[in-house]
Amino acid sequence: MSVFTAVLIGLAMGAVFGLALEKSRVFEPGIIVGQMRLRNFVMLKIFLTAVTTGLVVLAVLHGFGIVKLGPKAVLMGADLIGGALLGVGIAMAGACPGTVAAQIGAGYADARLTLVGGLLGAVAFTYLEPMLNPILLSGGPGKLTLASVTGVPFWMLALGFAVVLIAGLVALERWRPWRTEIGANGDGVIAPPAGQVGPTGAATASSI
Amino acid sequence: MLSLTDRAWSPYLTGTIIGLLQIPAFLLLGTALGTSSSYVTVGDSLASFVDPGIRSIDYAAKHLTGAKNWWQVAVVVGIALGAFLSSRLSGTARSGIAPIWRDVRGAGTRTGRFVMAFGAGFIMLLGARIADGCTSGHGISGIAQLALGSFIAVGAMFAGGIATALLTRRS
Repeated sequence: MSVFTAVLIGLAMGAVFGLALEKSRVFEPGIIVGQMRLRNFVMLKIFLTAVTTGLVVLAVLHGFGIVKLGPKAVLMGADLIGGALLGVGIAMAGACPGTVAAQIGAGYADARLTLVGGLLGAVAFTYLEPMLNPILLSGGPGKLTLASVTGVPFWMLALGFAVVLIAGLVALERWRPWRTEIGANGDGVIAPPAGQVGPTGAATASSI
Repeated sequence: MLSLTDRAWSPYLTGTIIGLLQIPAFLLLGTALGTSSSYVTVGDSLASFVDPGIRSIDYAAKHLTGAKNWWQVAVVVGIALGAFLSSRLSGTARSGIAPIWRDVRGAGTRTGRFVMAFGAGFIMLLGARIADGCTSGHGISGIAQLALGSFIAVGAMFAGGIATALLTRRS
């Protein structure tokens, strides 16, 4: 495929992705920080729904031999350290690497700084990579998946896991309905109930 | 009825839309949905104007050219376009900084928030590249492939995120 075609496909897919991120409100810093404070579960709902859909899609596509999977290799140190740093960054940015773009599109000023910081972080990693490679980024047991370690066909595990996630999502929605969680202004800021003020109030709104 | 002028759609609908994007990703590009390696492609391309020597680093060379790399850059640009259009259609365009930051230590002022956002972006991408994936690549795509490394990375991501959010909370 030519780079030009790939870019056109990417723009179209990205536009759909961005639309979904904006309509779902998950790109809002209030939703992402709220998730990390365990006060707002909209991010987890979207994340697990996207995972569930992906599991079903890949169970079919891989089950019928149409596509090959490309799981990332297990590198315990890199996964733990990198994952933790990523999480620290997400909580401070109020965004993930993908939702930063949605925040810029929607108009948040600080997201542009997050993007610049992110580009510099990626360049810094490029220079550090030759040094980190022998310590963190090589070796390991390889591209292990639940299917490869158990010997159970991928499609069976994927569909089984999808069922578990759907049950979890149904329970999550009963506990915390999404319409309430996105808040009146769609930014995850939930007004405290009348008469309730202070730090025990509905989290984010209490100091505003 | 569902409309593009709606302020919000259900997370279950939007999550499904995002998950369905794996179909064109796997069928047309032969890869899973991801976003964070595009920062390497763009960052290293820009850096190569200042330091052409960066092209000789294997990691940069692997990210600078090719359909898959520039596809992912286009996805991220497309995300901004899609969110721009969606927010204008529904009248939820944003400006300045989000109200949540008034409740986060160090982010109360505009300058403070800008400095924090810049540092956050740096840490976020450094972490994502060490882990070889972010919320999309490890999260949405890695877990959907039942990759054990992705379960570890996503667990660590939430642990780091939750600890940080609780420590920086003002109220």
